[in-house]
This record gives sequence, structure tokens and C-alpha cells, in this order.
Amino acid sequence: MEHQDYQELLVPHSLDALEVSEARELEAHLETCAECRAELLALRDDAALLAYTAVPAEPRPQVRAGILESVRAEQSVDRAGAVNNKVVPLRPRANWNIWTMGLRVAAGLAFVALLIGLVVLWRREVKLRQEIALLNHQLDFKQHELVRDRDVLAREREALTVLTSPNAKRLDMAGTQTAQNARGSFVYDQKSGRAVFLAEGLPATPGDKAYELWFIPKGHSPVPGRIFTVDSSGRALLPQQMPADAMENGVIAITQEPKSGSAVPTGAIYLSSPKS
Amino acid sequence: MQAEPSQISDNDLLHAVAVGDESALAACYDRYRLILFGLILRILNDRQEAEDVLQEVFLQVWRRAGDFDEARGRAFTWLVTIARSRALDRLRAAGSRARLAEEAAQEPGKEVGDAAVDTLNSEKSAIVRNALAELTDEQRKVLLLAYFEGLTQTEIAERLGDPLGTVKTRMRSGLIKLRELLAQHAT
Repeated sequence: MEHQDYQELLVPHSLDALEVSEARELEAHLETCAECRAELLALRDDAALLAYTAVPAEPRPQVRAGILESVRAEQSVDRAGAVNNKVVPLRPRANWNIWTMGLRVAAGLAFVALLIGLVVLWRREVKLRQEIALLNHQLDFKQHELVRDRDVLAREREALTVLTSPNAKRLDMAGTQTAQNARGSFVYDQKSGRAVFLAEGLPATPGDKAYELWFIPKGHSPVPGRIFTVDSSGRALLPQQMPADAMENGVIAITQEPKSGSAVPTGAIYLSSPKS
Repeated sequence: MQAEPSQISDNDLLHAVAVGDESALAACYDRYRLILFGLILRILNDRQEAEDVLQEVFLQVWRRAGDFDEARGRAFTWLVTIARSRALDRLRAAGSRARLAEEAAQEPGKEVGDAAVDTLNSEKSAIVRNALAELTDEQRKVLLLAYFEGLTQTEIAERLGDPLGTVKTRMRSGLIKLRELLAQHAT
């Protein structure tokens, strides 16, 4: 993506309205671009003002009380949780008799029991913390899966919308010599240009390459479409917007290009729709 | 806190919360409860849930006030972001919920008490509402769907039955226009 493309993502990102994959790409860019970071912060400040358009409302007084109560409860737990490590030795008493000795032994035993109790609790706490860390790890993983699934779901929904459109037209794409087992379907809505592309049987691309989609309107040079890679089973499903002039007698092709894409086709053709 | 609570800036209030000043948290609640509760209620459309979320929000403010960095944006933005995130999380967790069929404000009715009316009529609120009113219907609709329903551009396009490109253009031009209008008032 060009820098300008990232800049165009800033407004929707300030409203958290990007698809997950786009948001991720933008976040990666933001790590190295101070200009975009600053712009995003300013946009977020503007977007936050939309909160003023909601009708202000008064919560019940109990809410305020509940918050302060919880805050105080947290604070007192924090204080109590601090373990006092100072060990105060029992002073030997001047008159020393069996009774005093018995008391000392009892106190000593009680103290030891307390220590053992603390060690047990401490160990349990360590174990609980480990379990929490593990659960957090699993949660992160599940969240990633969920995020991926949302992404997939969004694409499939988009696909369904296009496929069930009354204006849908379909172009079948065949694999070339380079990829004889590959197949593709490009379905587009003739009215809106929204399209869905499904590819199957494409070989995985090397790490520094990706596939790029091209629209070749009759008598024109190729117009670049999306850049994509296939999943582990060699499939890809992606939304795509079809340029209007490619709709009549256009050809669609897939080539392999460098990972960040190319303005003109440079690599081998893998899939192509029939020339009309 | 040494000064009169109402005179302390938002930034200083949050810094005080960060060092464990409970009265600063209470002052923050008093200052922003109407806006934040209004926002959460608009998203969730359910008073009980909204109160639960408001409580969660301020506990998060209490625990994470140390994360607030004034170099990265306004305190108001930080607060509103927490409130909106928690509300949208709760909305999604609740699954299907009756959504507002149209955008546009809730009818001010018995929910709106005197304090809320004051806030509604406050200068800042009026400025933002007037600015929003100057956008086109389409721009406004797109921004409000994104903001109050947490929809992505693709989801908005589906909801409105418009092409994705159109939604993107409207969102961009809408927010930029809003920013220009607000800048005139140096909000």
C-alpha cells in the first residue's frame, strides 16, 4: 500500500470502522510513521466529540456509591495483601519457669503454623497466577481466532450478497500452463460493481511474493486489483470492486508479483478468464 | 486535591486519580457522568445494562488512569473511548438486540433531568450538534452508525444497501467536514 492509501484509512480507523485486516495493516504502518500517528490522534479527538450528540442521562445515585465502594474495597485488599516480613524474635524472660517455657513453645509452634499457612497460601497464589497467565494466553489465542473468524465471516457475507444479486454475472477463470490445477470464479454485480473472487488450487506463494488480480478492459492496459495470498488449501476468497470499463468484454487475470504488489504485471499468469 | 474540584483541569484530575486520589475519581464521575451515561445508554438502549457498564468504566478509569498520556490526546477522548469500547463490547456480547431502526436523537422525555438539560444546552454540546447538522444526511448517518453501533464500513454498506466506496467517501468527507466546522469554534 502507498502512504496515501494508509492516510485514507485513518478516518475510518478513528471510528474503529475498518475491517480487521485493514486495521492490522494500518497499525503496522503506524509503528513507523509519526505523521500518521499524530493525524490519527487528532481524528480520534474529533470523533470523540460525537459523544455530545447522545442525549445526556442521569444514572441513579447508587452507581456513584457502588463505584466508590468498589474502589475502597480494592484499596483495602491491596493494603492487607502486603505481607509483613519482619520477624520479631521472642525476648527471653528474666524469670524462667516451666509455665513461661510452655507459653514460649506454644507461641513458637503457633508462629511456625502461621508460617506454614502463609507458605501454603503463597504457593497457591503462585499457582493461581500461573493458571491466570495460561488462561490469558489461551484467551489471546481465542481472540485472535475470533478476529480471524470475523474477518472470514465478513468476506463470506459479502460474497453471498454479490452471488445472490439479481444483476450478478459470472466469469470463470482457468489455470494456465503454470498452474494447470487452478480454477477461479469472478462474480460481479453489474450494477454496483461489487464483486467476489474465489480461487482454488493455486500453489502457495514464496514468502516475498503474492498474487495480484488484474482487470484488462478490451484494448486497454491492465488495471491492478487486489493483492492476496492463498490459505493452506490453496484457496482464496476476497471482495473486489470491478471497474466499470472492465465489465464489457474485459479479461481478468491473476499473476504472481512481489508481496507489496506491482503497478504493471511482471510475473507469470496463473489464472485467466477467456478472451471474448 | 488542594483546589476547588470544579477548577481542576481534566488532565490534572486524571493524574490525581492515577496516584490513588479517590476524591479525584469522584470529581471525574461528577463532571462526566451525564455525557458518558448518555453515550452508553444510546449504544445499549437499556438503563440497567448501561449503569453496569458505567460502573465498569469508572473502575477501569481508576485502575488505568496511569496509562493516560496527555501528549496522545485529550482526557475527554480517553474517557469516552473507554466508555464506548465497554458499551460496544457489552452490545456484542448480548448478541441480537433491538437496534435503533433510524439514527437521530432519542426523544428527550422523563429520562432527561435538570442537570442533563443543562448539559444538553451547554455550549460544547450545542456546537457539536450544530456542526453535525451541517453535514449531509448520508454523511451523518454513516458517522453515527459507525460511532454508536460500532459497525465497520463494510457492515454500514450492507445496512444501507450502498456501495462500499460510497460509504468510505461519505465517512471520510463527513468527519473531515465535522473537524473543519469544529475547528472554527476551536473546541
